[in-house]
Amino acid sequence: MIKHSIKKIVLVSLCYLLLPAALAGQGLSPVKGKPDAPDFSLPDLDGKTHRLSDYRGKVVVVNFWATWCPPCRFEMPSMQSAWLKTKDKGVVILAIDVGEDEDTIFTFTGDYPVEFPLLLDEDSKIIHQWSVRGLPTTFVIDPDGRIVYRAIGGRHWDDPILLEKILKLLPANSSSQQKSTP
Amino acid sequence: MTIAQHAVIMCLAPPDKTRCDSAVFSTTLLAVALLMLSLATQPSAQAAEVTTGKNADTGLRYWQWQSGDLLLKLTQRLPDQTRAFFMARGFTTEQANTIATNCAFQSMMKNTGSDSVIKLDLSQWTVKHNNRQHSLRTREVWKPIWKKQQANPAAQIAFEWALLPTHQTYNTDDYNWGLSSYGLPPGSVFDLNFSWQRNGKTLHGQIKSIQCPADDHQEPKP
Repeated sequence: MIKHSIKKIVLVSLCYLLLPAALAGQGLSPVKGKPDAPDFSLPDLDGKTHRLSDYRGKVVVVNFWATWCPPCRFEMPSMQSAWLKTKDKGVVILAIDVGEDEDTIFTFTGDYPVEFPLLLDEDSKIIHQWSVRGLPTTFVIDPDGRIVYRAIGGRHWDDPILLEKILKLLPANSSSQQKSTP
Repeated sequence: MTIAQHAVIMCLAPPDKTRCDSAVFSTTLLAVALLMLSLATQPSAQAAEVTTGKNADTGLRYWQWQSGDLLLKLTQRLPDQTRAFFMARGFTTEQANTIATNCAFQSMMKNTGSDSVIKLDLSQWTVKHNNRQHSLRTREVWKPIWKKQQANPAAQIAFEWALLPTHQTYNTDDYNWGLSSYGLPPGSVFDLNFSWQRNGKTLHGQIKSIQCPADDHQEPKP
């Protein structure tokens, strides 16, 4: 009986892992009025502090997520792929984990290796400042620090159409030699 | 004889063009009037496609409701699965059991339209069970409970974000995925009455006879 229950739970978990792929669309919703992005200063897994305002002049993708959230896990590999395609063009990805400690996130990266900074919002203070209501939620910030796009739920971030929208935010003469971190 | 039939007969009689034009005009006018009347009196309840089924592997049932731009899917969630999830986030066994035995569903809401904005307010949704109605157990309902019990702070944060947002605005392709809690014992059957706003207009829907998953959890024998 117990063995049967465990099997059932494993199967259900697998279904939850696969379903987000079917749900993901490619829409990025324009944010009315392009409000200024609330600044934050958060540590990454190595203890290095990242301040949003330090990335002024670049396009910043700010993603709120958690390791236990299926659509968040689903979009991580495509976000890594997008990072590889855009990091030398002046685009930065900052993924802010909500409410978890570095050990939990470090374990997660064993299954989902990503190279962009994973920041810790352990007390969930920052996510509330950004008026996020569900995970994952992602914002695209233009080089002037304004919120231009929002996406609720997972996306295929390496999709060329979606990437084009993000790259279009870069200044016309943006150098392809830009570094990915300040 | 309907006006339309009358118009056809008039127009089949070629000598009288004036009568034909007049009949066609009357018919068109009536059709427009009827169309406007039907639009004006159209109820806000939406004609929807409701699909129910059972996952062949897990045996868990789901209810999917689709109308226009809104897709809503509720999938039974095993109480054991819910216990395991929340204990791993830092809740005590007793606290995790409270969540698990309150009828939790894995829920998904998505804007499948191409140009609409959908707004949801779960605090307006009602659960009808045994001829009595009550509200969903939203984040705001649970929050003071965990605060009073001084639940683990990390567990409280995970709980907040694991539940569907009470208020949300969905643009094209936006979706949320999370738990919804119905405040009923395992195995209960209920009707869900829900509403949403599409481009500012409030619409209503209903899913009947949703079944909370049974609690098959059995303690291992010593």
